[in-house]
Amino acid sequence: MGMVTLSDDMFAADVIADPYPYYGRLREEDPVHWNELYELWVVTRHDDVVWMTRHHELFSNAVFRNDPRPAYPAIDESDLGLYEYVRNYQADQFIQHDRPEHLEMRKVVHSYFTPRAMEAWRPFVQKAVQELLDAAEHKGHMDVMKDVATPLPVLVIAQMMGVPAADRPHVRKLAEKLLNIGRGEHDRMKPLTEGMQGMIDYVSPLVDERLTHPGDDFISVLAAGERNGVFTRHQVLVNTSLLLLAGHETTINLLCNGTLAFIRHPEQWALLKGDPEGWAQRATEECLRYDAPVKSLQRLATQDVDMRGKVLRKDDRVRWFISSANRDPEAFAQPDRFDITRDPNPHVAFGSGVHHCLGATLARVEGQEVFKALAERFPSLHLETEVLEYQPSITFRSLKSLPVAWS
Amino acid sequence: MARPLRVWVDHRRCVGNSMCEALAPAVFRLNASRQSEAINPAGDTEEKVLEAAENCPVSAIFVEDAQTGVRLFP
Repeated sequence: MGMVTLSDDMFAADVIADPYPYYGRLREEDPVHWNELYELWVVTRHDDVVWMTRHHELFSNAVFRNDPRPAYPAIDESDLGLYEYVRNYQADQFIQHDRPEHLEMRKVVHSYFTPRAMEAWRPFVQKAVQELLDAAEHKGHMDVMKDVATPLPVLVIAQMMGVPAADRPHVRKLAEKLLNIGRGEHDRMKPLTEGMQGMIDYVSPLVDERLTHPGDDFISVLAAGERNGVFTRHQVLVNTSLLLLAGHETTINLLCNGTLAFIRHPEQWALLKGDPEGWAQRATEECLRYDAPVKSLQRLATQDVDMRGKVLRKDDRVRWFISSANRDPEAFAQPDRFDITRDPNPHVAFGSGVHHCLGATLARVEGQEVFKALAERFPSLHLETEVLEYQPSITFRSLKSLPVAWS
Repeated sequence: MARPLRVWVDHRRCVGNSMCEALAPAVFRLNASRQSEAINPAGDTEEKVLEAAENCPVSAIFVEDAQTGVRLFP
C-alpha cells in the first residue's frame, strides 16, 4: 500500500473529537514523524515514549526558557507581551528545569507527595466527594465537570496550601482562570495571566508568614526551599501555582473521561458496581490508559538524536504522545478495548523517568474515590446528551461538559 | 553491627524516577533501560535505604530483614 500523506493539522475538528484513529495511523506509518505545519517531531510508540522520557539528558524539559518559537495555536498579536509573561512564569516552575537544578528542586517537594503521604489524604478526598455528590443528588442530574471534577481538585489543593476557608472562593476563581493554560482560543492569554498574577498576589503574604511560622502545608515546604537557597521567591510563588496548573485540568480530565468511558461501556460499569472497593484501583489505571488526561507533552532535543532512522536535530521540538503510546498494540493486548481487569497496565499517563508526575498518587486517590462513589451512589448513571465536545487542545483531552442523570 | 537487608526493585512498577539513586547512590543504580537495581543493600545505612524506599513515587522498592525475612518496607 502506498504511503498516504498524513495531515499535520493536529487541531482539525475530527482529530480533536476523536484523536485515536489519527494517532493510530501515525504510530503505524511514521512513528517518528516530522510535522511540517507545527515544525516539531511527533513520537507515538510506547517503547519510544518510554525511551525518550528516560533519557532526560537528550530531551530537555526547559521548554519555556529555551524555545523561542511562538505559542501554538496562535494568539492575538496584541497579546505577545502577555505571552512573554507566561513564558517567564512557566520557566520558573521546577518541572521546566533539567538536571542538576531539577533534582535539587524536586527533592524539596518530592517527600510531600510520597505514596504514603498521599494515602493520608484519602479520608479528606472521600469526605469532599461525598459532600459534592450530596449537593447534586436531589437534582437527579448534574454536570460531572462543573459539579464534581472541577471543584474536587481545588478543594484538595487549597487544603494542601493551607488556604483559610474564607479565601477558597477566591482561589477557585483564580484556578478557573488558570485553566486557560490548556485552551486553544486566540484570546486566552488575558484570563491566564490574570490567574497567574492573581495567584502571586494571593500567595505572597502567605509565604512571608510561613517563612517565620512554618506549618505542615505545601507553601511551608516551598518556603523552606527558599530558606535553603534552592528556590528564589518568584520560584516559590510560581511553584505554588504549579499545584493548580498541573493538578487541576489533569484531574478534571481523569474524572470526566473515566466517567464517560464507564457510561459508554455498560459491562465494565457493571463490573465496577459489583465490587466498587475491589475494582477502584485497576479501574482508575484503565481510565488513565484508555482516555488519558494529557494527550501529549513537549521536549527540546539537547543534541542530534537518532530515532528509528530519523535524525532529530539539536533544539528541535519533540512532542511525545501519551494517548498514542497508551493504545500501542505492541504494549497492550486489544488496546482500543476499555477493560478494567487489565493487569499489568504499563500506561504512561504520568510520563516516566525523572519528570514522572509528582502528583500521580494524589490523582489516583481522587480517581479511585470518585469512580467508587459514583458506582455506589448512582448505579443508573447515564448521559443526558449524545453531543459531547472537547477543548481544542493538543496537550489536554478535555471535555467541555459532561451532563449525566440517574434515576 | 547493622543487620543485613534484602532489597529489591519491582521492574513492573519502576518508572526510572531515580530518586532512590539520588538518595542512596551506593545502594541503587539505574540499569541500561533506566530502571533501578539494588546493587548493594549494604551500601548505606538502613535509615537511608528505607528513606529511598519511602520516596519511590510508585512503591517499587521492597526491603526485608535478610535473616528473619521480616518485611521492613512497605
